[in-house]
Amino acid sequence: MTDIQKLAGTVDNAAREARAIAQLSTGTTLTLAQAYAIQKASIGLRLARGERRVGVKMGFTNRAKAVQMGVHDIVCGRLTDSMVIEDGGTVDFARYVHPRIEPEVAFLLKAPLEGSVTPAQALAAVEAIAPAMELIDSRYENFKFSLEDVVADNASSSGFVVGPWHRPDVDFSNLGIVLSFDGRPVQIGSSAAILGHPLRSLVAAARMSTAGGERLEAGWIVMAGSATTAEPLQRGLFVQTEIQTLGRVAFTVGT
Amino acid sequence: MPPHDAAILAAAERIRTAHETNQPTPPVRDQLPPGDVAAAYAVQKVNTDHWLDARRRLVGRKIGLTSKVVQKQLGVDSPDFGMLFADMALADGEDVALGRVMQPKVEAEVALVMERDLAVPDPTLTELISAVAYAVPAIEIVGSRIANWDIKLVDTIADNASSGLFVLGTTPVGLAGLDLRLAGMVMERRGDQVSIGAGAACLGNPLNAALWLARTMVRVGSPLRAGDIVMTGALGPMVTVVPGDVIEVRIGGLGSVRTAFSA
Repeated sequence: MTDIQKLAGTVDNAAREARAIAQLSTGTTLTLAQAYAIQKASIGLRLARGERRVGVKMGFTNRAKAVQMGVHDIVCGRLTDSMVIEDGGTVDFARYVHPRIEPEVAFLLKAPLEGSVTPAQALAAVEAIAPAMELIDSRYENFKFSLEDVVADNASSSGFVVGPWHRPDVDFSNLGIVLSFDGRPVQIGSSAAILGHPLRSLVAAARMSTAGGERLEAGWIVMAGSATTAEPLQRGLFVQTEIQTLGRVAFTVGT
Repeated sequence: MPPHDAAILAAAERIRTAHETNQPTPPVRDQLPPGDVAAAYAVQKVNTDHWLDARRRLVGRKIGLTSKVVQKQLGVDSPDFGMLFADMALADGEDVALGRVMQPKVEAEVALVMERDLAVPDPTLTELISAVAYAVPAIEIVGSRIANWDIKLVDTIADNASSGLFVLGTTPVGLAGLDLRLAGMVMERRGDQVSIGAGAACLGNPLNAALWLARTMVRVGSPLRAGDIVMTGALGPMVTVVPGDVIEVRIGGLGSVRTAFSA
């Protein structure tokens, strides 16, 4: 029998101590449902320590990223307030195992979303959209994992930074995106890479959250998933993402 | 008369023969002084002059090697240019026989159309912007007369910068208020995303590439003229095509353009 609570403690400890662990799937056989249960239980440990739930993240929503990681399904993870990186702020490199950064689009919800929703219903629940970045940091050795492993590890979610909010009344289906390190572009892409349209990611988030026993709440942030492959972070980097029309978001990695 | 004239003429003839017979030629670089860019452009010019004499009409230029990745692959740090002739232009969505271009691949680009001549020495960015009539989304169908795309810098330059055919979108957009650097690009084949990028992938900004070309054209005595089309360079990875493919490109702020391949 799979001990959900014990495995949740394992990934939670690894995240807290910024320590790489072996893949869970090497020691036990996990179903996807069990993996999501581990994720939920591990976030439960965080909430019990006083962290506050602030939204969800979507993962593997673009093909290049899925190919990079050898994973072929969309996944979702849970965001808490402890993962917030201030726009323009500094992150502490020592908090992470082997952090990588991805440029994304973020949604802020003004109304709950659950179950099967149309793109129009999803858009009607959006208060604002923003340029954003997600700092992912698999707790597994060498950033290697199965689909079940990464789901159990909260979809590698570790931190996120959101730039200025913008009313969602622009066409955001194909916005150019430039991720730069110290002012030099390292990834160039388009919001179209996110499932063909970032709104499809929000539709998927509503469906998957409901399947996981919760709903997307008003006031939550939904990170739509990366528009490019992820770039490894290094100490001292100035990291910036610019998105056509939406503006920029940035932070510095501490030395 | 430079000593390598005979070699230049021979290389030009090999490429022209490949073009006319649809049979690729081995690389021409071994025939030219190693890395001699000037000689490569001389080869290109021999064929350009030949084709102009044969009543092909020059309608613009293409810029190649505008992506950092491609420049690294070829070990170069500069773009290159080739000639666009009127017979290379396709209509939006027009079916093209795959065999019309040797070893075809497609790229998504921003095309600029000149409103005025740009013949002053070292034109500035503002002079360029003022001289541009409008931008349209474009697909370039590149090809190579060199067997198996086994090209080094001098091969592609000599081979008219690997140009083939081009398709322009049909809704002109003025440059005022248009952010070409952050313009998103997505290329799809039957709804599958096959290439993704943005304006920044083209020398940092398609206008940077156009400015390089404008200055270079003045320097070589063939300045951009009113009405000239400038294919500024790829916004994302190039894609191999097969018969039956329909390729659609969308560029943020510029709309869309299509091309279709038949056997």
